[in-house]
Amino acid sequence: MIQFEHVGLRYGIGPEVLSDVNFALEPGSFHFLSGPSGAGKTSLMRLLYLGKRPTRGLMTMFSQNVNAMTREQLVPLRQRIGTVFQDFRLLDHMSAFDNVALPLRIQGKPEKEIRNNVEELLDWVGLGDHMHVLPNTMSGGQQQRIAIARAVITRPRLLLADEPTGNLDDDIGLRLMNLFEQLNRMGTTIVIATHSNQMMDKFNHPRLVLGEGTLKVEQSQNWIKQKLQGVF
Amino acid sequence: MARSRMKKEKTLGVSHRTRRYDLPLHQSGGTNFIVLLISLMSFLAVLAIASAFALSAMTDRWSSGLENRATIEVPATINDNTIRTKEEIADITSRLSASLKSDPHVESVKIMSNEEIAELVRPWLGDNLVLDKVPLPGLVSLTLTQSDKDTIAKLRGKIKIIAPAAQLDTHEGWLSDLLRFTGALKFSATLLIIVIAITTVTAIAGAVRSRLAVHSKEVELLHLMGATDNYISRQFQRHSLLLALKGSGIGLIAGALALIIIGWLFGKMDVNLLPDFSLSHMQILSFGLLPPTMALVAIITARQTVLRVLRTIL
Repeated sequence: MIQFEHVGLRYGIGPEVLSDVNFALEPGSFHFLSGPSGAGKTSLMRLLYLGKRPTRGLMTMFSQNVNAMTREQLVPLRQRIGTVFQDFRLLDHMSAFDNVALPLRIQGKPEKEIRNNVEELLDWVGLGDHMHVLPNTMSGGQQQRIAIARAVITRPRLLLADEPTGNLDDDIGLRLMNLFEQLNRMGTTIVIATHSNQMMDKFNHPRLVLGEGTLKVEQSQNWIKQKLQGVF
Repeated sequence: MARSRMKKEKTLGVSHRTRRYDLPLHQSGGTNFIVLLISLMSFLAVLAIASAFALSAMTDRWSSGLENRATIEVPATINDNTIRTKEEIADITSRLSASLKSDPHVESVKIMSNEEIAELVRPWLGDNLVLDKVPLPGLVSLTLTQSDKDTIAKLRGKIKIIAPAAQLDTHEGWLSDLLRFTGALKFSATLLIIVIAITTVTAIAGAVRSRLAVHSKEVELLHLMGATDNYISRQFQRHSLLLALKGSGIGLIAGALALIIIGWLFGKMDVNLLPDFSLSHMQILSFGLLPPTMALVAIITARQTVLRVLRTIL
């Protein structure tokens, strides 16, 4: 699904923010991305959602070499990725409904299908009665739920989320993590960037840990326990 | 009052059912400025096109009216400033007429009466002209079968024999000056239309560029969701189309009103040399093409600008 080989990234002529990053994600996997502030989580996420190309190394997504692709060839790849941004990046002039419907409209889906899917999803995230409300009049938690609904509405093959439950209360946060788990069981590959050790411990998925521009993969506690049980 | 406040409070923060824009271009500042600029450009275009039409009609009328026409003038005075009598002038014009009627290059000959000559000089000498007191020249109007240089030279030779002082005027000299003058005016009108087109294109391209800069984050978001450059470009094209139609509509109406006023002012003037400022139905209908043309210019400009800028972004 995703393979990084000796990937490096720098902005302009500045120092490398990512250097020699190597990892591979299998289709249908679930990973947390963690690391201290300034370690390059946002830059790595930017590479993953194809907002940037690496300045060196080989980056393969959906079995295609991203470095060698034209701008037009990136479009279908981007349509397979759903992203929840840390700052939500909702369009304030559009209602909650239109924000969530936007990826489907970009893909040219029929309005009837859009209406049914969006209404159902907004109901599910608890915003069924806020469909025509503008995001800038909503709370941070409500905005975050719209951002998540927008990211998953197209049933992406890769879902990237940057601190997706940061502004949510425990109950809603848990429901949304369960939604991610459900999507993952249906085959969606998921990468969630988070600082929350509590969440990472609770859901127990492997961790991509960034530090000083490089990345190492740490397996989950469950995985380690299972391996140890197999040995002893 | 209270009801309207209640209604306002009830709808606060709720999106209104208007035409959907993925980018908030309709909320951007400077929209009214672009509409005003397109209105002014359209207004100027209407005046420039109308001027070009009027000048074309004027030159056509002058050219067609004077083609193959010539006039023989028998001066009222002789070289030593003695004035010819009416009878002497009538005798010369009669002899000229008789001689030229048989010429194969002459289609028709007409000796102009004193009343007709007085009518010709009336714009310069006024209505109170007393024919008996003013020495008027003799004029013979000719219609020729052809007006090439050889024919004119032969006719001049023939006239010289009968009346050495008589002049054959083919109108070519002053007509060519007038045509050159109107040609220069028409060129200026065309140049003005080109300048209007360039200004409109530059203004729309500048506005599109500034909107792209203002909404760069939203544009990036659309890209990341998988929007193609064409999809993003269509947002700008639709917005520019609406602005162009609005602006050119206002400009067209203002231009039409200005033409009506100019036409009315021309109608009040009693000056024969000025052109007739009335336009044909086809010419009036052609003004209707201004808004679609402006819209087309706006769409193409917006598309080219957006695609060119987006090519520099990942």
